[in-house]
Amino acid sequence: MKCVEMKGKNSRNIEEIIKEYRIELLHGAELMHKLILDFIKNKLNKKELDGVIKSEKKCDHLKDEYIQVLFQNKRALPFLVEDRYKIITLVDQVLGKVEYLARFIKIYPFDLYKDISEDFKKMCDICQQMITGLLETLELIETNFTAAYDKTFEIEAIRRPARKMKFELLGNIYKKKDEPTRIHLTSDLINNLYNIIGLIEDIADYLRGLIIKYPTR
Amino acid sequence: MAVEFTIIIVFIVISIFISFAIGANDETFSTVHGSKTLNMKEILIFTTILAILGAFLLGRGVSETVGTKLFGSSVSEVSEAMVLTILISTSIWLIISSLLGVPISTTHSTIGSIMGVGMLVGEGLNGVNWIQIGEMSFWWILSPVLGFAATYGVYKLIHRTVINKLNGFKDFERLEKIFSYILLVTIAITAFSRAGNDCSNAVGIVIGLDAGIDINLILLVTGISFSLGIIVLGRTVIKSVGAITELVPSSAFASEVPTAGILFVGTFLGIPLSGSHMLVASLVGLSKARKAPRKKGLWKIILIWLLTFPMAALLAITLYFPIALII
Repeated sequence: MKCVEMKGKNSRNIEEIIKEYRIELLHGAELMHKLILDFIKNKLNKKELDGVIKSEKKCDHLKDEYIQVLFQNKRALPFLVEDRYKIITLVDQVLGKVEYLARFIKIYPFDLYKDISEDFKKMCDICQQMITGLLETLELIETNFTAAYDKTFEIEAIRRPARKMKFELLGNIYKKKDEPTRIHLTSDLINNLYNIIGLIEDIADYLRGLIIKYPTR
Repeated sequence: MAVEFTIIIVFIVISIFISFAIGANDETFSTVHGSKTLNMKEILIFTTILAILGAFLLGRGVSETVGTKLFGSSVSEVSEAMVLTILISTSIWLIISSLLGVPISTTHSTIGSIMGVGMLVGEGLNGVNWIQIGEMSFWWILSPVLGFAATYGVYKLIHRTVINKLNGFKDFERLEKIFSYILLVTIAITAFSRAGNDCSNAVGIVIGLDAGIDINLILLVTGISFSLGIIVLGRTVIKSVGAITELVPSSAFASEVPTAGILFVGTFLGIPLSGSHMLVASLVGLSKARKAPRKKGLWKIILIWLLTFPMAALLAITLYFPIALII
Protein backbone atom coordinates (compact mmCIF):
# COMPACT_ATOMS: atom_id res chain seq x y z
CA MET A 1 0.00 0.00 0.00
CA LYS A 2 2.84 2.30 0.96
CA CYS A 3 4.53 1.48 -2.32
CA VAL A 4 1.41 2.34 -4.32
CA GLU A 5 1.11 5.65 -2.50
CA MET A 6 4.76 6.38 -3.28
CA LYS A 7 4.31 5.64 -6.96
CA GLY A 8 1.66 8.31 -7.19
CA LYS A 9 3.97 10.87 -5.64
CA ASN A 10 7.02 9.92 -7.65
CA SER A 11 6.17 12.26 -10.47
CA ARG A 12 7.57 14.96 -8.16
CA ASN A 13 10.94 16.38 -8.94
CA ILE A 14 13.78 15.35 -6.63
CA GLU A 15 14.64 19.03 -6.11
CA GLU A 16 11.12 19.76 -4.88
CA ILE A 17 11.25 16.86 -2.44
CA ILE A 18 14.59 17.81 -0.94
CA LYS A 19 13.51 21.46 -0.67
CA GLU A 20 10.38 20.41 1.22
CA TYR A 21 12.49 18.10 3.38
CA ARG A 22 14.86 20.90 4.33
CA ILE A 23 11.98 23.26 5.16
CA GLU A 24 10.32 20.60 7.32
CA LEU A 25 13.58 19.75 9.07
CA LEU A 26 14.20 23.40 9.84
CA HIS A 27 10.63 23.76 11.07
CA GLY A 28 11.05 20.75 13.39
CA ALA A 29 14.37 22.03 14.70
CA GLU A 30 13.05 25.57 15.27
CA LEU A 31 10.02 24.24 17.09
CA MET A 32 12.25 22.08 19.30
CA HIS A 33 14.44 25.09 20.03
CA LYS A 34 11.45 27.20 21.04
CA LEU A 35 10.06 24.39 23.22
CA ILE A 36 13.39 23.88 25.01
CA LEU A 37 13.46 27.59 25.79
CA ASP A 38 9.93 27.24 27.21
CA PHE A 39 11.14 24.21 29.18
CA ILE A 40 13.99 26.24 30.66
CA LYS A 41 11.50 28.92 31.70
CA ASN A 42 9.17 26.23 33.10
CA LYS A 43 6.51 27.32 30.64
CA LEU A 44 6.50 24.22 28.48
CA ASN A 45 3.22 22.75 27.28
CA LYS A 46 4.36 19.15 26.76
CA LYS A 47 1.65 18.52 24.17
CA GLU A 48 3.42 20.92 21.86
CA LEU A 49 6.32 18.45 21.69
CA ASP A 50 4.07 16.30 19.50
CA GLY A 51 4.71 18.91 16.81
CA VAL A 52 8.38 17.87 16.73
CA ILE A 53 7.40 14.19 16.52
CA LYS A 54 4.98 14.96 13.68
CA SER A 55 7.65 16.93 11.89
CA GLU A 56 10.05 13.98 12.18
CA LYS A 57 7.41 11.64 10.75
CA LYS A 58 6.79 13.99 7.83
CA CYS A 59 10.53 14.17 7.18
CA ASP A 60 10.69 10.39 7.28
CA HIS A 61 8.07 10.16 4.54
CA LEU A 62 9.85 12.79 2.49
CA LYS A 63 13.14 10.93 2.95
CA ASP A 64 11.55 7.68 1.71
CA GLU A 65 10.10 9.50 -1.28
CA TYR A 66 13.46 11.14 -2.00
CA ILE A 67 15.31 7.82 -1.80
CA GLN A 68 12.82 6.15 -4.09
CA VAL A 69 13.10 8.90 -6.71
CA LEU A 70 16.87 8.90 -6.27
CA PHE A 71 17.19 5.21 -7.07
CA GLN A 72 14.50 5.24 -9.74
CA ASN A 73 16.61 7.39 -12.00
CA LYS A 74 18.50 4.65 -13.80
CA ARG A 75 20.72 7.12 -15.64
CA ALA A 76 21.81 8.99 -12.55
CA LEU A 77 25.48 8.73 -11.69
CA PRO A 78 25.87 5.88 -9.20
CA PHE A 79 28.48 7.63 -7.06
CA LEU A 80 26.28 10.72 -6.75
CA VAL A 81 23.28 8.56 -5.92
CA GLU A 82 25.30 6.75 -3.25
CA ASP A 83 26.64 9.99 -1.77
CA ARG A 84 23.25 11.69 -1.79
CA TYR A 85 21.73 8.62 -0.18
CA LYS A 86 24.39 8.66 2.52
CA ILE A 87 23.83 12.37 3.13
CA ILE A 88 20.04 12.08 3.51
CA THR A 89 20.34 9.11 5.87
CA LEU A 90 22.85 11.01 8.01
CA VAL A 91 20.72 14.14 8.09
CA ASP A 92 17.71 12.04 8.94
CA GLN A 93 19.56 10.76 11.98
CA VAL A 94 19.80 14.37 13.21
CA LEU A 95 16.04 14.75 13.17
CA GLY A 96 15.77 11.28 14.72
CA LYS A 97 17.87 12.54 17.63
CA VAL A 98 15.81 15.75 17.87
CA GLU A 99 12.68 13.62 18.06
CA TYR A 100 14.32 11.43 20.72
CA LEU A 101 15.06 14.56 22.75
CA ALA A 102 11.46 15.71 22.36
CA ARG A 103 10.18 12.36 23.63
CA PHE A 104 12.69 12.47 26.48
CA ILE A 105 11.62 15.96 27.58
CA LYS A 106 7.99 14.81 27.38
CA ILE A 107 8.59 12.21 30.07
CA TYR A 108 11.23 14.14 32.02
CA PRO A 109 9.51 14.56 35.37
CA PHE A 110 11.52 17.46 36.84
CA ASP A 111 12.17 21.14 36.26
CA LEU A 112 15.60 22.09 35.00
CA TYR A 113 18.08 23.21 37.70
CA LYS A 114 18.13 26.99 37.71
CA ASP A 115 21.92 27.20 37.99
CA ILE A 116 22.48 25.29 34.75
CA SER A 117 19.66 26.84 32.73
CA GLU A 118 21.83 29.59 31.25
CA ASP A 119 24.46 27.20 29.88
CA PHE A 120 21.80 24.75 28.79
CA LYS A 121 20.14 27.54 26.81
CA LYS A 122 23.49 28.39 25.20
CA MET A 123 23.95 24.75 24.22
CA CYS A 124 20.48 24.71 22.79
CA ASP A 125 21.23 27.86 20.73
CA ILE A 126 24.42 26.25 19.46
CA CYS A 127 22.46 23.18 18.41
CA GLN A 128 19.98 25.33 16.50
CA GLN A 129 22.77 27.30 14.81
CA MET A 130 24.45 24.06 13.79
CA ILE A 131 21.27 22.63 12.27
CA THR A 132 20.79 25.83 10.28
CA GLY A 133 24.45 25.72 9.24
CA LEU A 134 24.13 22.11 8.17
CA LEU A 135 21.10 22.85 6.01
CA GLU A 136 22.94 25.76 4.38
CA THR A 137 25.92 23.48 3.70
CA LEU A 138 23.65 20.90 2.09
CA GLU A 139 22.25 23.53 -0.23
CA LEU A 140 25.69 24.94 -1.04
CA ILE A 141 27.30 21.57 -1.77
CA GLU A 142 25.06 21.22 -4.81
CA THR A 143 26.39 24.33 -6.52
CA ASN A 144 29.34 25.77 -4.62
CA PHE A 145 31.98 23.51 -3.10
CA THR A 146 34.14 26.39 -1.85
CA ALA A 147 31.37 27.99 0.17
CA ALA A 148 30.17 24.60 1.44
CA TYR A 149 33.73 23.74 2.50
CA ASP A 150 34.04 26.98 4.47
CA LYS A 151 30.64 26.38 6.04
CA THR A 152 31.78 23.01 7.42
CA PHE A 153 34.57 24.82 9.27
CA GLU A 154 32.05 27.32 10.62
CA ILE A 155 30.01 24.41 11.98
CA GLU A 156 33.11 23.01 13.63
CA ALA A 157 33.90 26.39 15.18
CA ILE A 158 30.36 26.69 16.56
CA ARG A 159 30.60 23.19 18.06
CA ARG A 160 33.86 23.77 19.96
CA PRO A 161 32.44 25.64 23.02
CA ALA A 162 29.54 23.17 23.24
CA ARG A 163 31.83 20.32 24.24
CA LYS A 164 33.37 22.35 27.03
CA MET A 165 29.91 23.48 28.11
CA LYS A 166 28.63 19.90 28.22
CA PHE A 167 31.31 18.80 30.69
CA GLU A 168 30.84 21.92 32.79
CA LEU A 169 27.13 21.19 32.97
CA LEU A 170 27.70 17.55 33.84
CA GLY A 171 30.31 18.57 36.43
CA ASN A 172 27.79 20.92 38.05
CA ILE A 173 25.01 18.39 38.34
CA TYR A 174 27.27 15.56 39.50
CA LYS A 175 28.31 17.74 42.45
CA LYS A 176 24.71 18.10 43.56
CA LYS A 177 23.51 16.13 46.56
CA ASP A 178 20.04 15.82 45.15
CA GLU A 179 17.80 12.91 44.28
CA PRO A 180 19.94 10.50 42.18
CA THR A 181 17.16 9.95 39.60
CA ARG A 182 16.97 13.67 38.91
CA ILE A 183 20.73 13.92 38.56
CA HIS A 184 20.84 10.90 36.30
CA LEU A 185 17.98 12.07 34.07
CA THR A 186 19.33 15.60 33.85
CA SER A 187 22.70 14.28 32.75
CA ASP A 188 20.86 12.20 30.12
CA LEU A 189 19.07 15.34 28.97
CA ILE A 190 22.39 17.14 28.49
CA ASN A 191 23.91 14.13 26.73
CA ASN A 192 20.92 13.82 24.40
CA LEU A 193 21.22 17.46 23.41
CA TYR A 194 24.96 17.15 22.91
CA ASN A 195 24.49 13.99 20.80
CA ILE A 196 22.68 16.12 18.20
CA ILE A 197 25.56 18.60 18.18
CA GLY A 198 28.14 15.81 17.89
CA LEU A 199 26.28 14.17 15.03
CA ILE A 200 26.03 17.44 13.09
CA GLU A 201 29.77 17.90 13.44
CA ASP A 202 30.34 14.37 12.15
CA ILE A 203 28.13 15.10 9.14
CA ALA A 204 30.02 18.34 8.50
CA ASP A 205 33.28 16.36 8.57
CA TYR A 206 31.84 13.82 6.16
CA LEU A 207 30.69 16.57 3.78
CA ARG A 208 34.13 18.16 3.90
CA GLY A 209 35.62 14.79 2.98
CA LEU A 210 33.26 14.51 0.03
CA ILE A 211 34.18 17.98 -1.18
CA ILE A 212 37.86 17.05 -1.07
CA LYS A 213 37.24 13.68 -2.70
CA TYR A 214 35.16 14.84 -5.66
CA PRO A 215 37.83 16.55 -7.75
CA THR A 216 40.12 13.51 -7.32
CA ARG A 217 37.59 10.99 -8.58
CA MET B 1 37.55 -28.29 -54.37
CA ALA B 2 35.22 -30.90 -52.95
CA VAL B 3 35.47 -30.95 -49.21
CA GLU B 4 34.07 -33.71 -47.04
CA PHE B 5 30.96 -32.78 -45.11
CA THR B 6 32.44 -33.89 -41.77
CA ILE B 7 35.51 -31.69 -42.33
CA ILE B 8 33.25 -28.70 -42.98
CA ILE B 9 31.34 -29.39 -39.78
CA VAL B 10 34.59 -29.76 -37.80
CA PHE B 11 35.90 -26.45 -39.19
CA ILE B 12 32.61 -24.66 -38.45
CA VAL B 13 32.64 -26.00 -34.89
CA ILE B 14 36.25 -24.88 -34.48
CA SER B 15 35.45 -21.44 -35.86
CA ILE B 16 32.54 -21.15 -33.40
CA PHE B 17 34.86 -22.25 -30.60
CA ILE B 18 37.47 -19.65 -31.58
CA SER B 19 34.96 -16.81 -31.72
CA PHE B 20 33.54 -17.93 -28.37
CA ALA B 21 37.04 -17.93 -26.85
CA ILE B 22 37.85 -14.47 -28.21
CA GLY B 23 34.50 -13.14 -26.96
CA ALA B 24 35.14 -14.71 -23.56
CA ASN B 25 38.35 -12.69 -23.22
CA ASP B 26 36.91 -9.42 -24.52
CA GLU B 27 37.47 -6.70 -21.92
CA THR B 28 36.20 -3.81 -24.10
CA PHE B 29 33.33 -2.94 -21.76
CA SER B 30 35.31 -3.16 -18.52
CA THR B 31 35.63 0.61 -18.06
CA VAL B 32 31.92 1.05 -18.78
CA HIS B 33 31.18 -1.47 -16.05
CA GLY B 34 33.83 -0.10 -13.69
CA SER B 35 32.45 3.43 -14.02
CA LYS B 36 28.91 2.04 -13.60
CA THR B 37 27.86 3.82 -16.78
CA LEU B 38 25.92 0.67 -17.66
CA ASN B 39 25.13 -2.33 -15.51
CA MET B 40 26.15 -5.86 -16.51
CA LYS B 41 22.74 -6.71 -17.96
CA GLU B 42 22.77 -3.60 -20.17
CA ILE B 43 26.37 -4.29 -21.19
CA LEU B 44 25.53 -7.84 -22.23
CA ILE B 45 22.55 -6.71 -24.33
CA PHE B 46 24.55 -3.88 -25.89
CA THR B 47 27.59 -6.01 -26.58
CA THR B 48 25.50 -8.82 -28.09
CA ILE B 49 23.92 -6.44 -30.59
CA LEU B 50 27.30 -4.87 -31.43
CA ALA B 51 29.05 -8.24 -31.71
CA ILE B 52 26.47 -9.64 -34.11
CA LEU B 53 26.34 -6.43 -36.15
CA GLY B 54 30.15 -6.12 -36.17
CA ALA B 55 30.62 -9.71 -37.24
CA PHE B 56 27.95 -9.47 -39.89
CA LEU B 57 28.95 -6.12 -41.35
CA LEU B 58 32.71 -6.06 -40.88
CA GLY B 59 33.64 -9.74 -40.68
CA ARG B 60 33.89 -10.25 -44.42
CA GLY B 61 37.42 -9.00 -44.76
CA VAL B 62 39.34 -12.14 -43.89
CA SER B 63 42.54 -11.10 -42.22
CA GLU B 64 45.73 -13.02 -41.89
CA THR B 65 45.12 -15.41 -39.03
CA VAL B 66 48.63 -16.64 -38.39
CA GLY B 67 51.86 -14.76 -38.87
CA THR B 68 53.80 -17.13 -41.11
CA LYS B 69 56.84 -14.86 -40.77
CA LEU B 70 57.25 -16.13 -37.24
CA PHE B 71 58.21 -19.63 -38.31
CA GLY B 72 61.93 -20.34 -38.60
CA SER B 73 63.96 -21.63 -41.52
CA SER B 74 63.40 -25.30 -40.65
CA VAL B 75 59.64 -24.97 -41.22
CA SER B 76 59.22 -25.11 -44.98
CA GLU B 77 55.44 -25.28 -45.21
CA VAL B 78 52.54 -24.24 -42.98
CA SER B 79 49.98 -27.05 -43.05
CA GLU B 80 46.27 -26.90 -42.16
CA ALA B 81 46.97 -28.99 -39.06
CA MET B 82 49.51 -26.40 -37.90
CA VAL B 83 47.04 -23.55 -38.44
CA LEU B 84 44.28 -25.38 -36.60
CA THR B 85 46.59 -26.32 -33.73
CA ILE B 86 47.60 -22.68 -33.32
CA LEU B 87 44.00 -21.47 -33.37
CA ILE B 88 42.70 -24.14 -31.00
CA SER B 89 45.53 -23.85 -28.47
CA THR B 90 45.19 -20.05 -28.57
CA SER B 91 41.46 -20.40 -27.94
CA ILE B 92 41.95 -22.84 -25.06
CA TRP B 93 44.42 -20.50 -23.38
CA LEU B 94 42.01 -17.60 -23.92
CA ILE B 95 39.23 -19.57 -22.23
CA ILE B 96 41.47 -20.57 -19.30
CA SER B 97 42.47 -16.92 -18.81
CA SER B 98 38.84 -15.84 -19.05
CA LEU B 99 37.89 -18.36 -16.39
CA LEU B 100 40.53 -16.73 -14.21
CA GLY B 101 39.10 -13.30 -15.10
CA VAL B 102 42.31 -12.14 -16.77
CA PRO B 103 42.37 -10.31 -20.11
CA ILE B 104 45.26 -11.49 -22.26
CA SER B 105 46.54 -10.51 -25.64
CA THR B 106 45.15 -12.80 -28.36
CA THR B 107 48.23 -11.95 -30.42
CA HIS B 108 50.57 -13.07 -27.63
CA SER B 109 48.65 -16.28 -27.17
CA THR B 110 48.79 -16.92 -30.93
CA ILE B 111 52.53 -16.25 -30.99
CA GLY B 112 53.05 -18.63 -28.05
CA SER B 113 51.18 -21.31 -30.00
CA ILE B 114 53.25 -20.57 -33.13
CA MET B 115 56.41 -20.97 -31.08
CA GLY B 116 55.19 -24.35 -29.80
CA VAL B 117 54.19 -25.64 -33.24
CA GLY B 118 57.31 -24.15 -34.82
CA MET B 119 59.66 -25.85 -32.37
CA LEU B 120 57.79 -29.14 -32.73
CA VAL B 121 57.56 -29.20 -36.53
CA GLY B 122 60.92 -27.52 -37.07
CA GLU B 123 62.48 -29.96 -34.59
CA GLY B 124 64.05 -27.42 -32.31
CA LEU B 125 64.76 -23.74 -31.89
CA ASN B 126 65.28 -23.25 -35.64
CA GLY B 127 61.52 -23.70 -36.11
CA VAL B 128 60.94 -20.20 -34.77
CA ASN B 129 62.06 -16.89 -36.26
CA TRP B 130 63.58 -15.49 -33.06
CA ILE B 131 64.69 -12.25 -34.69
CA GLN B 132 61.08 -11.48 -35.64
CA ILE B 133 59.92 -12.45 -32.13
CA GLY B 134 62.62 -10.19 -30.67
CA GLU B 135 61.45 -7.26 -32.78
CA MET B 136 57.88 -7.79 -31.69
CA SER B 137 58.91 -8.10 -28.04
CA PHE B 138 59.92 -4.45 -28.13
CA TRP B 139 56.29 -3.50 -28.81
CA TRP B 140 54.99 -5.90 -26.17
CA ILE B 141 57.03 -4.10 -23.58
CA LEU B 142 56.12 -0.73 -25.02
CA SER B 143 52.33 -1.41 -25.12
CA PRO B 144 51.74 -1.18 -21.36
CA VAL B 145 54.24 1.69 -21.03
CA LEU B 146 52.34 3.65 -23.68
CA GLY B 147 48.98 2.85 -22.07
CA PHE B 148 50.26 3.94 -18.66
CA ALA B 149 51.84 7.17 -19.89
CA ALA B 150 48.96 8.19 -22.17
CA THR B 151 46.32 7.73 -19.49
CA TYR B 152 48.44 9.44 -16.86
CA GLY B 153 48.87 12.44 -19.16
CA VAL B 154 45.26 12.61 -20.36
CA TYR B 155 43.88 12.28 -16.83
CA LYS B 156 46.14 15.07 -15.55
CA LEU B 157 45.11 17.24 -18.49
CA ILE B 158 41.37 16.65 -17.94
CA HIS B 159 41.84 17.22 -14.26
CA ARG B 160 43.68 20.49 -14.68
CA THR B 161 41.54 21.95 -17.45
CA VAL B 162 38.06 20.67 -16.59
CA ILE B 163 37.58 18.86 -13.28
CA ASN B 164 39.44 21.40 -11.14
CA LYS B 165 37.06 24.08 -12.35
CA LEU B 166 33.91 22.22 -11.31
CA ASN B 167 32.01 23.52 -8.32
CA GLY B 168 29.26 21.49 -6.69
CA PHE B 169 27.48 18.19 -7.23
CA LYS B 170 25.44 19.58 -10.11
CA ASP B 171 28.52 20.54 -12.12
CA PHE B 172 29.91 17.03 -11.62
CA GLU B 173 26.60 15.50 -12.58
CA ARG B 174 26.52 17.45 -15.83
CA LEU B 175 30.14 16.76 -16.75
CA GLU B 176 30.12 13.06 -15.90
CA LYS B 177 26.97 12.63 -17.97
CA ILE B 178 28.69 14.16 -20.98
CA PHE B 179 31.71 11.90 -20.43
CA SER B 180 29.51 8.84 -20.07
CA TYR B 181 27.95 9.50 -23.48
CA ILE B 182 31.34 10.02 -25.11
CA LEU B 183 32.64 6.88 -23.43
CA LEU B 184 29.68 4.84 -24.66
CA VAL B 185 30.09 6.03 -28.25
CA THR B 186 33.83 5.26 -28.17
CA ILE B 187 33.29 1.84 -26.65
CA ALA B 188 30.50 1.05 -29.09
CA ILE B 189 32.78 1.81 -32.05
CA THR B 190 35.61 -0.23 -30.49
CA ALA B 191 33.33 -3.20 -29.72
CA PHE B 192 31.78 -3.07 -33.17
CA SER B 193 35.12 -3.06 -35.00
CA ARG B 194 36.67 -5.57 -32.62
CA ALA B 195 33.82 -8.05 -33.13
CA GLY B 196 34.17 -7.63 -36.88
CA ASN B 197 37.91 -8.15 -36.82
CA ASP B 198 37.88 -11.09 -34.40
CA CYS B 199 35.02 -12.88 -36.14
CA SER B 200 36.75 -12.47 -39.48
CA ASN B 201 39.72 -14.33 -37.99
CA ALA B 202 37.42 -17.06 -36.72
CA VAL B 203 35.53 -17.54 -39.99
CA GLY B 204 38.72 -17.32 -42.01
CA ILE B 205 39.41 -21.04 -41.63
CA VAL B 206 35.93 -21.96 -42.90
CA ILE B 207 36.10 -19.57 -45.84
CA GLY B 208 39.53 -20.99 -46.63
CA LEU B 209 37.89 -24.37 -47.26
CA ASP B 210 36.08 -22.92 -50.27
CA ALA B 211 33.17 -25.33 -49.70
CA GLY B 212 30.44 -23.03 -50.97
CA ILE B 213 29.01 -22.26 -47.53
CA ASP B 214 26.84 -19.15 -47.13
CA ILE B 215 29.25 -16.65 -45.55
CA ASN B 216 26.40 -14.59 -44.07
CA LEU B 217 25.20 -17.57 -42.09
CA ILE B 218 28.70 -18.34 -40.81
CA LEU B 219 29.25 -14.70 -39.83
CA LEU B 220 25.96 -14.64 -38.00
CA VAL B 221 26.77 -17.86 -36.16
CA THR B 222 30.27 -16.70 -35.16
CA GLY B 223 28.84 -13.31 -34.14
CA ILE B 224 26.37 -15.06 -31.85
CA SER B 225 29.11 -17.33 -30.56
CA PHE B 226 31.36 -14.29 -29.90
CA SER B 227 28.60 -12.63 -27.89
CA LEU B 228 27.90 -15.91 -26.08
CA GLY B 229 31.56 -15.92 -25.08
CA ILE B 230 31.10 -12.48 -23.54
CA ILE B 231 27.84 -13.49 -21.84
CA VAL B 232 29.14 -16.78 -20.41
CA LEU B 233 32.75 -15.98 -19.48
CA GLY B 234 33.50 -12.43 -20.61
CA ARG B 235 31.58 -10.91 -17.70
CA THR B 236 34.28 -12.21 -15.31
CA VAL B 237 37.00 -10.46 -17.32
CA ILE B 238 34.93 -7.27 -17.64
CA LYS B 239 34.34 -7.21 -13.87
CA SER B 240 37.94 -7.90 -12.89
CA VAL B 241 39.48 -5.30 -15.23
CA GLY B 242 36.85 -2.71 -14.30
CA ALA B 243 37.71 -3.24 -10.65
CA ILE B 244 41.45 -2.52 -10.95
CA THR B 245 40.80 1.02 -9.79
CA GLU B 246 37.75 3.11 -8.89
CA LEU B 247 36.28 4.57 -12.06
CA VAL B 248 33.86 7.32 -12.98
CA PRO B 249 32.93 8.20 -16.58
CA SER B 250 35.57 10.96 -16.85
CA SER B 251 38.40 8.75 -15.56
CA ALA B 252 37.13 5.81 -17.63
CA PHE B 253 37.29 8.16 -20.62
CA ALA B 254 40.85 9.13 -19.67
CA SER B 255 41.91 5.49 -19.67
CA GLU B 256 39.91 4.25 -22.63
CA VAL B 257 40.18 6.93 -25.27
CA PRO B 258 43.98 7.36 -25.44
CA THR B 259 44.33 3.57 -25.46
CA ALA B 260 41.90 3.27 -28.35
CA GLY B 261 43.64 6.12 -30.17
CA ILE B 262 47.14 4.66 -29.81
CA LEU B 263 45.86 1.24 -30.79
CA PHE B 264 44.28 2.70 -33.90
CA VAL B 265 47.52 4.45 -34.90
CA GLY B 266 49.46 1.26 -34.09
CA THR B 267 47.20 -0.83 -36.32
CA PHE B 268 47.49 1.76 -39.08
CA LEU B 269 51.31 1.63 -38.88
CA GLY B 270 51.35 -2.16 -38.57
CA ILE B 271 52.69 -2.14 -35.01
CA PRO B 272 51.50 -5.15 -32.98
CA LEU B 273 50.35 -3.38 -29.81
CA SER B 274 48.25 -5.27 -27.29
CA GLY B 275 44.93 -3.61 -26.45
CA SER B 276 44.44 -5.70 -23.30
CA HIS B 277 47.90 -4.89 -21.94
CA MET B 278 47.48 -1.23 -22.75
CA LEU B 279 44.11 -1.02 -21.03
CA VAL B 280 45.28 -2.73 -17.84
CA ALA B 281 48.40 -0.54 -17.75
CA SER B 282 46.33 2.54 -18.42
CA LEU B 283 44.12 1.72 -15.42
CA VAL B 284 47.25 1.41 -13.31
CA GLY B 285 48.39 4.77 -14.76
CA LEU B 286 45.03 6.22 -13.81
CA SER B 287 45.27 5.05 -10.21
CA LYS B 288 48.79 6.54 -10.04
CA ALA B 289 47.61 9.86 -11.49
CA ARG B 290 44.70 9.99 -9.01
CA LYS B 291 46.92 8.75 -6.18
CA ALA B 292 44.16 6.23 -5.54
CA PRO B 293 44.77 2.73 -4.24
CA ARG B 294 44.68 -0.16 -6.69
CA LYS B 295 42.49 -3.09 -5.91
CA LYS B 296 43.82 -6.63 -5.66
CA GLY B 297 44.35 -8.82 -8.71
CA LEU B 298 47.02 -6.96 -10.66
CA TRP B 299 49.74 -9.50 -9.87
CA LYS B 300 47.49 -12.33 -11.02
CA ILE B 301 47.06 -10.53 -14.36
CA ILE B 302 50.83 -10.03 -14.75
CA LEU B 303 51.49 -13.68 -13.88
CA ILE B 304 49.01 -14.88 -16.51
CA TRP B 305 50.60 -12.53 -19.06
CA LEU B 306 54.01 -14.04 -18.33
CA LEU B 307 52.59 -17.55 -18.57
CA THR B 308 50.88 -16.86 -21.92
CA PHE B 309 53.84 -17.74 -24.15
CA PRO B 310 54.93 -20.99 -22.42
CA MET B 311 51.37 -22.17 -21.79
CA ALA B 312 50.14 -21.50 -25.33
CA ALA B 313 53.29 -23.18 -26.68
CA LEU B 314 52.78 -26.19 -24.41
CA LEU B 315 49.13 -26.49 -25.44
CA ALA B 316 50.10 -26.32 -29.12
CA ILE B 317 52.76 -29.04 -28.67
CA THR B 318 50.22 -31.26 -26.89
CA LEU B 319 47.47 -30.73 -29.46
CA TYR B 320 49.44 -30.86 -32.69
CA PHE B 321 49.66 -34.65 -33.17
CA PRO B 322 45.98 -35.44 -32.38
CA ILE B 323 44.88 -32.67 -34.78
CA ALA B 324 47.32 -33.79 -37.48
CA LEU B 325 45.87 -37.28 -37.20
CA ILE B 326 42.30 -36.00 -37.81
CA ILE B 327 43.08 -33.58 -40.64
